[in-house]
Amino acid sequence: MIEVLNLSHSFQIGKKGKEKNIPVLNDIDFTVKKGEIVSIVGKSGSGKSTFLHILAGFIVPQKGHILIRETETSAFNEVESAAFRLENFGFIFQNFQLMPGLNAFENIELPLKLKGIEKTERRRKVSALMQEVGLDHVGDHYPNELSGGQQQRVSIARALITDPPIIFADEPTGSLDSETEQDVLLLIQSLNKLRGITFVMITHDEEVAHVADRMYTMHDGRLVEGSVQHAI
Amino acid sequence: MQFKDQIDFVRQHIKKNRLRVFMTILAATMGTAFLIVLASVGFGLHDTLRGEMLSNRLVTEIQVHGSDEAEEPEKQVDKFKAMENVKAVLDQQKLGTYPKIMLGDFEGYFEFVVSDFKEEAKVGFELNKGRLPENDSEVVVGSHFATYLQNTTEVKEGEEMPTYEGDLIGQTITFEIENNEGDLAEEKLEFTVVGIGKEPTREWVMDGRVFADASIIPKIEELYQTSEEEQFSLFYHSIMVYADKLENVSQIAKAIEEDGFYTYSVASELEQLDVFFLALKAGLIFVGTIAILIASIGIFNTMTMAVTERTREIGVMKAIGANPKLIQRLFIMESAWIGIIGTIIAIIISYGVSIIANYLLPIIVTSALGGEDSSELNIVFSVIPWQLIVIASCISIGVAVISGWRPARKATNIDVIQALRQEL
Ligand SMILES: Nc1ncnc2c1ncn2[C@@H]1O[C@H](COP(=O)(O)OP(=O)(O)OP(=O)(O)O)[C@@H](O)[C@H]1O
Ligand SMILES: [Mg+2]
Repeated sequence: MIEVLNLSHSFQIGKKGKEKNIPVLNDIDFTVKKGEIVSIVGKSGSGKSTFLHILAGFIVPQKGHILIRETETSAFNEVESAAFRLENFGFIFQNFQLMPGLNAFENIELPLKLKGIEKTERRRKVSALMQEVGLDHVGDHYPNELSGGQQQRVSIARALITDPPIIFADEPTGSLDSETEQDVLLLIQSLNKLRGITFVMITHDEEVAHVADRMYTMHDGRLVEGSVQHAI
Repeated sequence: MQFKDQIDFVRQHIKKNRLRVFMTILAATMGTAFLIVLASVGFGLHDTLRGEMLSNRLVTEIQVHGSDEAEEPEKQVDKFKAMENVKAVLDQQKLGTYPKIMLGDFEGYFEFVVSDFKEEAKVGFELNKGRLPENDSEVVVGSHFATYLQNTTEVKEGEEMPTYEGDLIGQTITFEIENNEGDLAEEKLEFTVVGIGKEPTREWVMDGRVFADASIIPKIEELYQTSEEEQFSLFYHSIMVYADKLENVSQIAKAIEEDGFYTYSVASELEQLDVFFLALKAGLIFVGTIAILIASIGIFNTMTMAVTERTREIGVMKAIGANPKLIQRLFIMESAWIGIIGTIIAIIISYGVSIIANYLLPIIVTSALGGEDSSELNIVFSVIPWQLIVIASCISIGVAVISGWRPARKATNIDVIQALRQEL
């Protein structure tokens, strides 16, 4: 499903003439099979988010290859990358990233709108999905009228609505209390089982990582399969 | 994204910032209305002056004069008549001096014209009373002939001279003419008035001419041509070609000029008028455009703020997979929407202002000039033709789109990661 080879990336900071090169990712190899939940753990600043952003196409990597569903995505331009995301990826963010001006229903509907799907079809799909993830009563609530757990459900629903084969999640439970965290993790697990969606999930928390089929650890820009202990 | 969803999206954003968008629309409206009203004055004055010239029957008239290369256009009358789009050709022969005409105690000096009444009828000459002259002792007079017949004998100090008020038909008038020495010749002729012409269509035009049949020429010339050696005609020709329509005047005039004649027509003056007003209108539209450009600063600001405010949302859209071009289009649509609504309101306001100005200004002007009846002042100050609406709309909406362009570019260039990092 996802194959990463020799991926390296560094950021340039500072003014022209005095640029500083900050290496963030160093020669990463990474594979995810279809239907897996793979988690990436690691210390803050180790480069987890950067890696995910490169996978998602937000950043073009300086070196290395990324193959997703047999497509070389690391060579995409902005427009191709956007089209590929819309077709293949769903995103779940730590701080939900819902549109404040849209209610829960409309937030979930947004990707379908971007895909140009008819209104009646959109309504049918969104309503069905909202029931499935337990949001049937909050469709007309705006994000600031929802609890954290509900907001994360809305954002999960938004990620799911286009039936993407892959969902990227950057600390999906990072701003939830432990009880809602369990709910959300169960939802992710059931979606993985029922729909066969592949998850790549970043987390701080080894507990959370245990829902995963496999675990990678990021350590100073190197990615190693296994738990933190392995990495060190 | 479907087009109606795009519209929905834009509408939602506008609703969220109602006041700010409203103020921006207001500025766009004011700029556009200013342009339309300003230019409408050019259109109005042009229409008024044009109408003034056109309401005269002489507009389709082409005066033809001989030149060194082409003399005596009267010999070409038949050729002129045969030309395309020519309605009539008048070959009027006018007496070189104004003869003195007397009727009882009343007298006056009049223009004496010999013409072809068949051709005259084609260009509007009609009799009000009586009939056309049939021999060399009959004449027809213009509608205002009587008012020029004045009694000079009984006039008292400070009083207006009495004019002839009796019936004219059947009256005998006496005709005297200056001879070559400049004195009134002793020989007199007598003619009978057999008809009176219809009043000219324009009320202030006075027709005091005397018309006669061509058979009268030898009679007059025989009597007054005293010097034997120089057989100068007392009459001169005045050739006028009439086009059937105003549009054909210049083409006919050109054809006549190709034969070497000089021509003069009101239509050619009209062309100069049109050129002048074209320049004036362009100038007014240019000045109005400056007002719209000022309003465009407002649009630019509003759109830049809209993009800045929505940076995170744009980032999310891009992350989900929105095409950057779509994002650009959504913002351009938003600024175009401001331009369109501003323009529509401006058009409505402009028509209102135009109607009020046309109603009020004549009243103000006449009262300022001390007149009483404002209906006499036949001036239209402001006219808004559809062409002006089209031009103003294009400028205003075009400027709105252009001012939204950069902010929209800025929106597409937003970095997803930076945008997602922004705090809620
Ligand atoms: N745009 C950037 N320019 C320069 N340096 C950057 C940029 N983005 C990230 N970095 C650096 O790259 C490193 C990795 O950042 P990243 O956000 O990937 O860490 P992370 O593992 O996700 O941390 P956390 O667990 O806190 O989210 C950090 O040292 C950070 O300073
Ligand atoms: Mg991170």
